[in-house]
Amino acid sequence: MWEFFARSLEASTIFTFAALGELINQRSGVLNVGIEGVMLFGATLGFIAAQSTESYVLGFLVGIAIGGLLGLLHGFFSITLGGDQVVSGMGIWILGFGLTTYIGNPYTGPLGMERIPTILGLSPFFYVGIALVVITWFVLSKTSLGLRIRSVGENPSVAEVSGISVTKTRYLCVIVGGMLMGFAGAIYSLDYNPVWNYNFLMGWGFIALALVFFSMWNPFILLGGSLLYGTLWQLSLNPQLILPGVMSRYLWRTVPFVTTLGVLLIMSTKWFKTRWGAARPEALGTPYVKE
Amino acid sequence: MQNGLLESIKRGETVLEARGITKRFPGVLANDRIDFEIKAGEIHAILGENGAGKTTLMNILFGLYQPDEGEVIIGGKEVKFRSPLDAIDLGIGMVHQNRKLVSAHTVIENIVLGHPRAGKILDLKRTGHEINELCDRYGFKIDLRAKVWQLSEGEKQVVEILKALYRGAKVLILDEPTSALAPPETKKLLASIEAMARDELAIVPFITHKLPIVLAISDRVTVLRRGRVTARLETARVTEKSLAKEMVGREVIFRLERTSVEKGEPILQVENLSAVSDKGFLALKGISFSVREGEIFGIAGVSGNGQHELAEILAGLRKAEGGKVTLGGRDITYCTSLERWQMGIGYIPSERTEVGSIGDFSLVENVTMNFYFDDAYSQRGIVDYRNIRKLTQEIVSEYSVMAPSPDTKAKNLSGGNLQKLILARVLSRRPRLLIANLPTQGLDVGATEFVRNKLMEAKKQKAGIILISEDLDEVLSLSDWVAPIYEGEFMGIIAGEETKRDRVGAMMAGSRSSLFPPQVGEDEGGKET
Amino acid sequence: MRIGSHELKIEKRLMLVGWQAAVISILAIMFALALFSIIFVLAGINPLLAYQEIFSYAFANPYGLPLTINRFIFLLLCTYAFIIPFRAGLWNIGMTGQLYAGTLGAFAILFAFGGKNSHTAELSPEILIPLMLIAAALGGGVLGAIPGFLKGKFNINEIVVTMMLNFIVFWLVAFMIKEGGLFMNPGGRGESFELPPSVYAPLITGVPFTIFLGLGLAVLLYFLFAKTKIGYQIRAYGHNPAAARYAGISTFKIPLLVFVIGGAVAGLAGYHYFAAVPGVYKIARNYGFFGDLAFYGIICGLISLGNPLLSIPVALLFGGLSIGGRFVQGKLHIGFGVDYALLGVLMITLVAFQFFYRYRLVLRPLKGSDE
Repeated sequence: MWEFFARSLEASTIFTFAALGELINQRSGVLNVGIEGVMLFGATLGFIAAQSTESYVLGFLVGIAIGGLLGLLHGFFSITLGGDQVVSGMGIWILGFGLTTYIGNPYTGPLGMERIPTILGLSPFFYVGIALVVITWFVLSKTSLGLRIRSVGENPSVAEVSGISVTKTRYLCVIVGGMLMGFAGAIYSLDYNPVWNYNFLMGWGFIALALVFFSMWNPFILLGGSLLYGTLWQLSLNPQLILPGVMSRYLWRTVPFVTTLGVLLIMSTKWFKTRWGAARPEALGTPYVKE
Repeated sequence: MQNGLLESIKRGETVLEARGITKRFPGVLANDRIDFEIKAGEIHAILGENGAGKTTLMNILFGLYQPDEGEVIIGGKEVKFRSPLDAIDLGIGMVHQNRKLVSAHTVIENIVLGHPRAGKILDLKRTGHEINELCDRYGFKIDLRAKVWQLSEGEKQVVEILKALYRGAKVLILDEPTSALAPPETKKLLASIEAMARDELAIVPFITHKLPIVLAISDRVTVLRRGRVTARLETARVTEKSLAKEMVGREVIFRLERTSVEKGEPILQVENLSAVSDKGFLALKGISFSVREGEIFGIAGVSGNGQHELAEILAGLRKAEGGKVTLGGRDITYCTSLERWQMGIGYIPSERTEVGSIGDFSLVENVTMNFYFDDAYSQRGIVDYRNIRKLTQEIVSEYSVMAPSPDTKAKNLSGGNLQKLILARVLSRRPRLLIANLPTQGLDVGATEFVRNKLMEAKKQKAGIILISEDLDEVLSLSDWVAPIYEGEFMGIIAGEETKRDRVGAMMAGSRSSLFPPQVGEDEGGKET
Repeated sequence: MRIGSHELKIEKRLMLVGWQAAVISILAIMFALALFSIIFVLAGINPLLAYQEIFSYAFANPYGLPLTINRFIFLLLCTYAFIIPFRAGLWNIGMTGQLYAGTLGAFAILFAFGGKNSHTAELSPEILIPLMLIAAALGGGVLGAIPGFLKGKFNINEIVVTMMLNFIVFWLVAFMIKEGGLFMNPGGRGESFELPPSVYAPLITGVPFTIFLGLGLAVLLYFLFAKTKIGYQIRAYGHNPAAARYAGISTFKIPLLVFVIGGAVAGLAGYHYFAAVPGVYKIARNYGFFGDLAFYGIICGLISLGNPLLSIPVALLFGGLSIGGRFVQGKLHIGFGVDYALLGVLMITLVAFQFFYRYRLVLRPLKGSDE
């Protein structure tokens, strides 16, 4: 039973990292729907790097770096070229999905390295994740940088006139966000489930996207959501631990996705909507054009 | 980093000077060798019509544009602005007409945004104290922790002023400072401006047509016409009439000709209508009124008092919380917007590009917006584009919409031409009830005059018209009845006449008509004459 | 940027004429193919040789060509499933789930008529095939109704909803065909029961009749968007939902409609692949691959700029690349997933080329240079 919860928390860590990355993006007004693609790259390239060099550190560094690079790419399309952010995000997803299937194929199989040691029975990244949530909250609400980021996401022309470079701020957020997403992918393939298989992420990136919407851009609610999802995911993989024999295991696999739909529905009720509408960064998804 | 050019300036010394400013845009000479100077402690207004070059000059002084020729001199030294940031650093502050504020953030967050002295970690307490000092000095009253979207227009303007002052502005450029204010808020603002001038700040208000304001507040006035300075005057020596003449170059008639039309049957009856705004609070609190055929019913108010919600409800774009709407005797409270178009209601929305037109569609396809459901233009599910194209060509020429062809995309039209297209499209349907929401907003003099004439024409054709406007003079001169709206209620319904200006102005800001000595008796619908 | 006595500048476009957009799309494809040749080079293969093999197998080989055509039909239908909501400004990335739902619908009909148990059953194709088509369209349409309804009524983001449904239906298929599911093949093997030969889709010169479905839809959709009232409403909503609402267009009905129709078309794609392509005729173990393939519909739809007629040559090209790519993977011993990689490169190239729809490069003589 403890094993179940431990694994749930470890799964939640990945959601936390990925969703936090997207939250930072979105607070500055940039929407990235291709989280899954960034995570796939981080996971695949991190896996390959770690396996080839027998070094976890290198694996994670590569995962983070490729995440940052992809964030930069998305930033280039969305910020500098001012293109449609959804198209760019979809592009990154399909690029990730397509390329990693090909690149990772020769590496199909287990990582084959000694597992990363746990702290108090949990993966160390769990604690890092919580720290990151607190740091993100602090930066966004208590520092000048955070005010700048939020202003850029709400009303970029006001920010620009106040002396803030919208471009630089957005690039910063998009790169940092990408790094977190790549990191999340690397954690998946190097720590949570160190086996490579094609399209192994199974939609986690999209769940992370939904998580950001549910969280109303609040890092703490986001953490709560990740914990919930981590648990749901573990449940869907091992239903026999809680409810043995209730449904076919294939139907259990649909639970996290059905839950997401349910939460989206709850979010559309009047009560939720006004709060959500107020919390939403006003300029989200709109390219900024200097006058 | 604050540049100290204006640190030690004294009263009476010139703080800002513009010499020989010239700026060209493709096809137009926007500013032609303009000279201007203002001293510390002075209020020097710049007056001019739309298109006279005011905006360009303002943007140059503020650092948004670079002049092609000429210099800007601050505190005796020539400066070159690479961006508004340079201007801010040198002590030039700007207060924009369409507020440059982040509505979701608090007042204090807006003021402190991007401030060079703000530390890495926000110390809002200390900042709060400093800002409160400024408020006390100039008579501003504002709750620093309120969110900007909750504030009135006047309060938002105060936030922008505070933002500039907190950044150390010694020269304040005000873009149409009173255009969005009700008269009592205007009085408060003018008092604060005078307080700032006494404190040796220099204030440059840019004004289009609020001549009385210019007379009330400024020490000097510079008039622009067609990119040139046509007059530099001491305010004490001018009158409204002489100023208007300088602005326009000819005698200006202040009163618009109002046509008198025989009123028909009531076409619209609204009973006890209430509605909730997007933010969740009550925007309309039980409004009742009626409009007759051939009558213009004007709703005057500063935006945000419920008139927008009222327009949307009548057009079928918003659900009412309670109340009843009757068109020609038929209860239409629950009718969809499509049904309303079909029943003869026409709506000219205030947002011409976001709602009133589709930028990527051609003129023909835009006209289709109001005709695709019409049997004459679409049968058995197929749209007769050829016929609509003919219609488009007719209305484009009738309304003088300047466009290369009917296939031009709507986004390539100027504001005035787009508004004319929308007007043409809606009026071609000969609506029985026309709702015009801010129809002349942002239009130049020529287009404004055109729109007003077309409204008069519609009136002559017996349409019932609801005119929503922020321009008090416009409402007073066009409407048969005027209802000032304040916080979701009509403060009264009065016959439209110029002489009632002060009274209507006061009502727009919240005083009820009952506070004034009663005039001649009442008539149905609670209207007074 | 200076080039000799001229200057290269980037300017915003005022207008985009149809043929200009087509040229950009073609350039995007060519650029992507050129970029993709890096993968061949890295695998130690001459890219020109690789492309030659790809195209000759896909279009000139008696075994490859029918495969290409079948794939083309599949992709075309998936493209339409994407395009229809796309014209309404909505993203249907759920064609995978919708096609699975359609497949399940078609197989449900078979199951109901006893097709599971008797492989040699004499079932009448005149009744069953139309029923299967209807069930496939219904299955896809009903699934499509979910994101459509949620968007129309509650303005819920359709990207997340469709993606969630993709996974849900994916597992539903697994549930139905594996480990004792209703559609399981009597021999197990983790696949569905096979189609009785009597209800194989009729072939016309070796190609299933579904090709007429695809081409017929092309014409129908073109006509729909260009001439009809409903097409106008969809386009208006797609460009500006607020203005559409002002014009009396229902912002509830339009999303619902486009997703139902789009889903139905995706459902037909499912029928086509799993019940009409010779050699398949069942829901195979690797059904997930076809689900993934459906994403090419997105790229196709974007490249053809939402134009149903332009989608035809693009889908044909992609069909060829996909089949040829798989062939070349085997023949030249490149790793698995070459077609996936191509998918990725094509998509990202297209995203980059979106820029050129809005801006253009102009070569201007510098001021003061003598001509």
